[in-house]
Amino acid sequence: MLAKLAGVKLRARAVMEGVLSGLHKSPHQGQSVEFSEHKEYAPGDELRHLDWKAFGKFDRYYVKRYEHETNLKATLVVDASGSMGYRSAPLSKLEVATTLAGTLAYLLVRQQDAVGLSVVTRAGAADLPPRAAAGHLHTVLGALDGLQPAGGTDLFAAAEHLAEKVRRGQLVAVFSDFFDDRDEALGRILALRARRNDLALFHVLDPAELEFPFDDPTLFLSLEDERRIEVNAREIRESYLEEFRAFLDRTRAACTEADVDYTVVRTDEPLDAVLLRFLGRRQRRAA
Amino acid sequence: MTFGQPWLLLGAMAGLIPLAVHLFDRRKPRPHPFAAIAFVLRSQRRTASRLKLKRLLLYTLRTLILLAIPVALARPELRRPGAAVSRAVGPAATVVVVDRGLAMRFVDGESLFEKARSEARSAIAGLGAEDPVTVLPCGPEVTPPTAPGLDRREARETLDRMVPAWSTVDLGRCFEVAARALEESPTAGKRIVVVSAFTAGSLRLETPPPTVRVPGDKRVRPEMVLRDVARGRKVLPNHFIADLKVEPAPQAGSRSVQVSFTVRNISDAPAGEIQATVELAGRVVGKTFLALAPGGTAQKTLTVRSEVGGPVAGAVSLSPDGLAEDDRRDFVVQVPRELRALVVDGSPSPVRYRDEVFFLEAALSAPSSPLRPVVKDATAGLREPLDGYDVVVLANVPAPLPEEVTRLKAFVERGGGLFISMGDKVEPEPWTQRMGDLLPRPLRLVKAAGSEAGAGDGRPAKLGDVHWSDPLFAPFSGRGREGLMGARFRRYMLVEGGTRADGSEVLAAYDDGAPAFVTARRGRGRVLLFTSTLDRDWGDFAIRTSYLPLMQRAAAWLAGALDEREVVEGRVGQTVTLRPDPQAHVTAVKSPSGAAVPVQTEPDHGLKVGPLPEPGLYRTFDAGAQLVPGSQFAVTLDPADSDLTRLDESQLQAYFGEEAIRGPSGTSDRRVPIWTWLVVTAAMAFFAEGLLLRKP
Repeated sequence: MLAKLAGVKLRARAVMEGVLSGLHKSPHQGQSVEFSEHKEYAPGDELRHLDWKAFGKFDRYYVKRYEHETNLKATLVVDASGSMGYRSAPLSKLEVATTLAGTLAYLLVRQQDAVGLSVVTRAGAADLPPRAAAGHLHTVLGALDGLQPAGGTDLFAAAEHLAEKVRRGQLVAVFSDFFDDRDEALGRILALRARRNDLALFHVLDPAELEFPFDDPTLFLSLEDERRIEVNAREIRESYLEEFRAFLDRTRAACTEADVDYTVVRTDEPLDAVLLRFLGRRQRRAA
Repeated sequence: MTFGQPWLLLGAMAGLIPLAVHLFDRRKPRPHPFAAIAFVLRSQRRTASRLKLKRLLLYTLRTLILLAIPVALARPELRRPGAAVSRAVGPAATVVVVDRGLAMRFVDGESLFEKARSEARSAIAGLGAEDPVTVLPCGPEVTPPTAPGLDRREARETLDRMVPAWSTVDLGRCFEVAARALEESPTAGKRIVVVSAFTAGSLRLETPPPTVRVPGDKRVRPEMVLRDVARGRKVLPNHFIADLKVEPAPQAGSRSVQVSFTVRNISDAPAGEIQATVELAGRVVGKTFLALAPGGTAQKTLTVRSEVGGPVAGAVSLSPDGLAEDDRRDFVVQVPRELRALVVDGSPSPVRYRDEVFFLEAALSAPSSPLRPVVKDATAGLREPLDGYDVVVLANVPAPLPEEVTRLKAFVERGGGLFISMGDKVEPEPWTQRMGDLLPRPLRLVKAAGSEAGAGDGRPAKLGDVHWSDPLFAPFSGRGREGLMGARFRRYMLVEGGTRADGSEVLAAYDDGAPAFVTARRGRGRVLLFTSTLDRDWGDFAIRTSYLPLMQRAAAWLAGALDEREVVEGRVGQTVTLRPDPQAHVTAVKSPSGAAVPVQTEPDHGLKVGPLPEPGLYRTFDAGAQLVPGSQFAVTLDPADSDLTRLDESQLQAYFGEEAIRGPSGTSDRRVPIWTWLVVTAAMAFFAEGLLLRKP
């Protein structure tokens, strides 16, 4: 159904509606209008949060604590390299990536969070800095809508770029197939986590990449460069699947080790379910 | 390599199918843009060499399968040097005829028989898996073999059991039996493999070659495969004892034996320095050397002396050659033993020639005589202890006293011989009364047949009816017989007529029918009554040439020595009749190797022994398995079997036909069927291909 919807905006909205309210509570305790609880004063607490009424009643110092939903900054990183244009399902990987990114932008802006966008191509990264204004959402969605897959994947350079641009404490969500020839590229991305950023990787993969359902002699053509190879797919299938499973295992292991949220996204699965899984995990972590 | 169905080889072109598929049926790969091409490239690099090998193996296996099946159906057979049996196409029932005649005992580095056995084994091994086979050992007696079968073990066991024979075999007869065995096999092909030395004596070329009756009542010639174990030799060089005669040589002294033998050389080369050795009673008693021209003959006579008398075993041996079996010939000879004779002179005379026993003593004492006479007068002689004497001669002796008669009777019953001659001192009535039944017949009276001058009451009598077949008179023939029949008898004692009860027998009678020599058995001994005198008183017999041999023979006969001289000799494969002493109770006869020989008692109490299986000395045994002394006999090979001249190539070709296959070891081929292996290979290739396809 999503494939019939033209543009990221419509697809993102459709996905967002599928997600339960999409609300999430901010893990940050900060300025908020909604009282949450009292906490006994401890040195270091701001004096302005002292509840003088409570002092009058109980002759003890209590500090007021509040919940707030609005001070999160998020940067959505979308890989727009040529490999993301592959599709065997109705949606290409890039379409899935932009839909997920758009939906997430909707959800964040709806909660008054600031959303930024960084598009990764071989030529470099195009950035939209995080903002919470409603008009900024349209800018982000418009940028996503105009993405075309092209060129090679250079996650390493993208990670370097993000390290410079992204400030501490941000949510960084990366949408990519992570098909970078350089093994250290993933490590550079995961290094963003070390800067106290909340990092989430959406590993977008096509079912054909996961299952390699080819039987006949096939001439495989690269989507990013001039590489081509003629093989009897049936003969190498086992070996391919071994290689691919090893790649997924390495990626998952690296994410687990770096305490990074890792989600494998098949392009043929419902995206609202993907986001619900993601949000559910975040709620559990916040709790 | 040969093929049973060569046209099926066209199917081998199917082996090109994998190549054709590889060349002409290459499908164009479908282009497919793919994001994870890096993984495809890595997988391809990782599996490239393995996949290449797998493809190559698959191609090879498929080609092998498609090639092996049609080639196997064409039934290929490999030909290996040195063992081929046949050039026939398709299965053929086969009879392997193995010559086990005497010639196969010839040793040419290796025994021809062993060579034949291994040739036969090789022939069987070279047969196709579908060729039924049986083995026919060709010996003097041919037993029909079992029908050809696929069980090779039975054929090999028959070969293992086979032993060489002692005479030449008739290959033609064996071919006939083999042909009958082939008729029992339903297999269309018929083949006879002959393993032989092909000596001239083993195959009569005038007999027709073998034929086999096939359905439709037709006769076809079986395929003949000849395996000549003596190939390359025109003749198997052989010298052998062709003839042997051994007889006593009394002229050379007592216990002398004359050994005459003939040696032949069947060879195209001379045989020099052949040593001939004569053995008697286990001792070498004579040696000589012979030189023989190619195909020549030599005769030698040796006179040797035995240390013992009686039946003595001996042998003549030649220096052994390739066939050693015919270089020795055993024999048994009766060596005359010394006989002691007590001559009782009833009418001694100081004038020597008038003495009653003058002529007798001279005859018995002759140099060639085995007799040693002791002459005594009547008084001393009749009282002489008789132990130690073989014969007692009562020459014109007055009637003995009763005790003397008793001693004489005991002597005769123990086996002694008693010779009684007449004369003036013999009075018929007292003699008859005192001697009683010791006399063959009662004496009656003296008859005068004529005077010395030829006048008187008639002409002198001559011998008329003589039993020439009796051992006593058997040697007299020709002039000897004339001399005996020329003797004249003027007077002689008439005797009573005989009865069956007295056991007497008239061996010779005068021309008037009156008995001249009457004999009777008394106990184990014999009594011989001569009704005239031993000197010239009653006739001129004493001065006749027949007198000496007859007296010597009579004395020897009475002593039983003539009986001992009956020597039996047999040929291998034949039967002999033994006439042993009835008291010996011979029940078994054993060959030189100790094998029991069939014995059959004949109506005349003779023992028919045979067939005699081997040459050498045979011994007889009584019921208690004890050796019967003096009853051994020799069995010899047939000298004709020792001629090992071989049939030449042209003769064999003329007999068997040009299509006969010559298959000696080392020069021809052996067929090894390989189609079964090809089928197995194809099956294994099919299985391996399946495994490869299953494996990614």
